[in-house]
Amino acid sequence: MPAETPVIEMRHVDKHYGALHVLQDINLSVDKGEVVVLIGPSGSGKSTLCRTINRLETIDSGEILIEGEPLPQEGKELAKMRAEIGMVFQSFNLFAHKTILDNVTLGPREVLKTPKDVAEQEAMRLLARVGVEAQAHKVPAQLSGGQQQRVAIARSLAMHPKAMLFDEPTSALDPEMINEVLEVMVELAREGMTMVVVTHEMNFARRVSNRVIFMADGQIVEEGTPDEFFDHPKSLRAKDFLDSIRGH
Amino acid sequence: MGYSELFATYGEKYLQAIFETLSMTAVCFAIAMVLSVLITVMRVSPIKPLRIVGDLYVQVFRNIPGVALLIIVAYALPYLKIMLPWKACVEVAVVLLASAFGSENFMTGINAIGVGQIEAARSIGLTFTQTMTKIVIPQALRSAVLPMTNLLIATMLTTALGSQVPLNPQELTGLVSFITTRETAIGILPFTVSAVAYAGFSVLLGLAGNAIDKRVRVIR
Repeated sequence: MPAETPVIEMRHVDKHYGALHVLQDINLSVDKGEVVVLIGPSGSGKSTLCRTINRLETIDSGEILIEGEPLPQEGKELAKMRAEIGMVFQSFNLFAHKTILDNVTLGPREVLKTPKDVAEQEAMRLLARVGVEAQAHKVPAQLSGGQQQRVAIARSLAMHPKAMLFDEPTSALDPEMINEVLEVMVELAREGMTMVVVTHEMNFARRVSNRVIFMADGQIVEEGTPDEFFDHPKSLRAKDFLDSIRGH
Repeated sequence: MGYSELFATYGEKYLQAIFETLSMTAVCFAIAMVLSVLITVMRVSPIKPLRIVGDLYVQVFRNIPGVALLIIVAYALPYLKIMLPWKACVEVAVVLLASAFGSENFMTGINAIGVGQIEAARSIGLTFTQTMTKIVIPQALRSAVLPMTNLLIATMLTTALGSQVPLNPQELTGLVSFITTRETAIGILPFTVSAVAYAGFSVLLGLAGNAIDKRVRVIR
């Protein structure tokens, strides 16, 4: 049986920042419904990798395919593709001058041309799903970090994405708010969303990910199921890294 | 000649002058705002020639004294067969000056917007134009209210350039020249009246600007 086309595929991707080789011959494919966690020390290139997938970072060589189609260059085609890939940032990046409701409806109304009332109904449903419907008419600065991040997830979901990218979604949060965001992500994963998650949350990785990819110095050093990786890391780099985040 | 005599003789002209100053201010500021948005969009656009033209515009018109600009528009352009009415000459000079400064105010507003706002906009699929009109310009406008209030006041004061060309009716500064050339013993009185008018309107505009800023400021 031929395998289904991967939702995201990277082939021999390279990227430099000046002399720094931040992505080195990256090959990665993410199937529909798969949850892939990218883990690694800071500066390993995991965020950069995540951001190349919707071309917030350009690449020097190699190929990135979304459902088998090459990632378009700048312009309308790229905007269209970006609309189909959700992105959740470390610092939430909600639109500061818009209400929570308008943050969620902006994409559907401007990009998908959804009528206002339909977009608002769906936005309220999504806000309820992530538990912040009571804040719909406030502006982002009035919400806690955890609430803002859940709104950011709702904003992405409103575009009915084929896949979602999470770039350290809980790293800027106070400890007591991390779980409320992770719970939303766990639920999304259970519902079959294709996800690429850059995170240090090992519990999350164990509970929901299908695959853990460990990066260091711009390379994929090893990958495996979460149990394999966390319990029996093969490379020295991964062992050192796991020791350091476990505080041994 | 005292105040009562001054107003008895020139009261009507003062009212006209106030109207002229305020209406020129309104016209110039409105046009300058539209122009500064356009120039600023050019300056942040992905197209390099547009960016260069936008930057050049600001550097040129920000760095020429208003009077020199007026002289160019009023007395040099006619050599190129461009002959504007006197009032339009003043307005063009004021608009060129104000739009250059206005664009700088918007740039400051844009620089205050985190790159994350723009990345978030691009990542939900907004095009460059949509990102500008829905995210960047609205936030830049809101954070530019206070500097733009200053610019509005400066625009009003710059319409005093109208005193350098024959306007009819005259604006507040031109009227002072008009009166002092006719009333030799009048001293500082006509200046004082115009100065009080300028200062009064500046204070009002400043208060209005503060009130608007409080309402629309983006909390981050």
